[in-house]
Amino acid sequence: MVFNSIEFVIFFVVTLVLYYLIPGKYRWLWILLASTFFYGYAKPSYLPVPVGIALFAYFAGIQIERAGYEKKTRQYFIISVAAIIGLLVFFKYTNFFTESTTGFVNFVKAKIFHSGNSISNNLLINIAAPLGISYITFQAIGYLIEIKRGSHPAEKHFGHFASYLLFFPKIIAGPVERAHHFLPQLKEPHPFNYELFTAGAKQVLWGLFKKIVIADRIAIYVNAVFNNHEHHSGITLIVASIFYVFQIYADFSGYTDMALGFAKMLGFDLMPNFNRPLLAKSVTEFWRKWHMSLSTWFGEYFYTPIAIEKREWGNLGVIYASFVTFTVLGFWHGANWTFIVFGALQGFILSIEIFTRRERKDMRKRIPKWLNDGGGILFTFGYFTLSSIFFRADTVTDAMQIIKKILSFSGPLYTESTSIILFLLLAVFYLTAYEFKEEFFEKKFSLSNNRYWLVRNSYYCVLIVILLETAVFDGGEFIYFQF
Amino acid sequence: MLNKTFNKKHWSSYLLQAAVFLVMVFVADLLVGSILKYFYKRQSSGWEYATRYSMEETKADVLVFGASRAQQQYIPTYIEDSLQLTCYNVGRDGTPFFYHYAMLQAVLKRYTPKMIILDCEYAALKKSSTSYERLSPLLPLYEDHPEIQPIVQLRSPFEKYKFISHIYPYNSMMFKIAIANLESNKKDKEDIKGYVPMTGSLHEPLKTIDISVAYQLDPIKINMFRKFVDECLQRKIELYIVCPPYYMNTVGTDTSFALCRTIAAEKNIRFIDYSKDSLFLKSPQLFDDTVHVNFNGAKIFSQKIAGELKRSRN
Repeated sequence: MVFNSIEFVIFFVVTLVLYYLIPGKYRWLWILLASTFFYGYAKPSYLPVPVGIALFAYFAGIQIERAGYEKKTRQYFIISVAAIIGLLVFFKYTNFFTESTTGFVNFVKAKIFHSGNSISNNLLINIAAPLGISYITFQAIGYLIEIKRGSHPAEKHFGHFASYLLFFPKIIAGPVERAHHFLPQLKEPHPFNYELFTAGAKQVLWGLFKKIVIADRIAIYVNAVFNNHEHHSGITLIVASIFYVFQIYADFSGYTDMALGFAKMLGFDLMPNFNRPLLAKSVTEFWRKWHMSLSTWFGEYFYTPIAIEKREWGNLGVIYASFVTFTVLGFWHGANWTFIVFGALQGFILSIEIFTRRERKDMRKRIPKWLNDGGGILFTFGYFTLSSIFFRADTVTDAMQIIKKILSFSGPLYTESTSIILFLLLAVFYLTAYEFKEEFFEKKFSLSNNRYWLVRNSYYCVLIVILLETAVFDGGEFIYFQF
Repeated sequence: MLNKTFNKKHWSSYLLQAAVFLVMVFVADLLVGSILKYFYKRQSSGWEYATRYSMEETKADVLVFGASRAQQQYIPTYIEDSLQLTCYNVGRDGTPFFYHYAMLQAVLKRYTPKMIILDCEYAALKKSSTSYERLSPLLPLYEDHPEIQPIVQLRSPFEKYKFISHIYPYNSMMFKIAIANLESNKKDKEDIKGYVPMTGSLHEPLKTIDISVAYQLDPIKINMFRKFVDECLQRKIELYIVCPPYYMNTVGTDTSFALCRTIAAEKNIRFIDYSKDSLFLKSPQLFDDTVHVNFNGAKIFSQKIAGELKRSRN
């Protein structure tokens, strides 16, 4: 049940109406029931996985807290985290490790021992990873880390804890919510708040617009090119790669806006995930603005401990921590070498930015601000576009072929029809116009939050009309659902 | 419980605002939808025009039904010259069998053509969710054609409710409609009685393709195929099922193709198969790609099929 489906609209309206009719202290129960239904709707057989993780993390949290002395706490913590990671690895990475190992063994046998007997992948499992498993496990691990650190008490109410992990607006693709931010909200009664409700509804509308008017429209061109990249020219591949960045941003931030909006309509506040990353002036800044709930999760629980451990290395320790963190972050996206390369590319450029921090600061003093900012935005966008080719391609070989063709900078531009190109340009225009307005003219004027009711609502009326005419109603799922 | 500070006055004010907003959306939707409808009907060129003309205006004696292989391979003027009957190509690129059946329903509501050529292609009866999405060219005609409504409703269980919006039937057609209203488009993209010529030329060796790969058949498509044939027989329409040339050396039998052939044999319908025509298999220059002939190929094929139909009638 995706957010942009009529099934979800029916589900949400029923959930919402009953939610506000139920007394405040029992609303968590309704949230839990609705979330369980939402998750089990597509494939009920997957339901035991998140419920099992919730049960395990709940008892593990209590055990870690009650352990008493540090050694025992550490033991419980390591066993619990290893079990949760083990489950994630089993569902998501078993086939990857099996294929990579057999591929490596066969390569060694063929090249070094000149043996023609290759081993087959008999150990491959035929199980699809349950939806949202990466998000559920990361939230559970973050919760256990907080308890181990003593910064958050273990939740004693299983219903509240399960509602936190399974909360339907965020269960499939985040945000990677923190326990200390969300759990206290479950204990509040959440009376109906008109301002919050309408703000949520507006955010849902804008998220839906980004998904079905912008992302799914761009996807038509991008998929046509990337799915047959061998038949397309270098120029076409450059254009499709640039459009892909807009697509993935509109798709994922559209999903996040909808998740945050639905949560707001129920009276909950979820972590933001995006802060206009395509206008970041450096890759370091980009990762502070892109998928913020995940990058801060990695920052708090992965990067910082490594950086602290390697602090005697100085700058090298920071670079090491960045490189390892981003490679793992890339791998988190999926069991494919393409994601590892994507992550490593981020780690590589962040290392360079750390090394050249002082020089870049000196340079900023010598050149005009507009040039520095503009150059930074273009470089960051260009670098992310290049690395996103690995994110989009099926294999590293495919990505390398695409880059090789792009570097030839030749051939005609693929334009299927005038209508498709005009819609595509319109989609990119909507997104860039909105982002520029929010970044540079936020306080100058606002249509969405205009003080006049008529202006404000005319804006939303126009948005709905544009949506009805230009949306792709039979577009695909959200890109981040696969992670 | 709702917030106690939320009194009756607040509620009535917010409900009034919500009602006014809904009226604004309704009026805007009606206005924009009506403008799109006006210009949709005013089109004089392009595919949307051809679809509407096929459904609402043509009175041709011979109609060609099918998807891209129909639209881009049968030149009506050749058939007209050979049979001394009027002909129109109602085929449309990318459309599934549901579309052809809906088109037949709309045509039969107005008149009974003398002859129908139904194009047959590999995997025509394959189950695929995209087939249902590809009924979208029929959306602007939904309101005026009750006979096609059950077929359009196959798109989704909620399809009929989507027509509450007046813009929805014209979704993603804004630029197409605008371009098709331009006189210059009529000159640039002229179609020949529904036929759309392809201009490319293939330069590749013949490939061997195994078409016996198993796939799931769509029972709704099979049912509609049978009904298509039955309704033509009931109306005493001369029906020919034709498979135009492919530029591929096929191995095995395609499931849909075999089923269409069996149904044709059951109903005593002539099935004309050019899929392995030796002239075309030797001539890549007559193809735009491996499944569509170009304009030169279409001329040769249309002459062949026109001659075959003439012989069959005599």
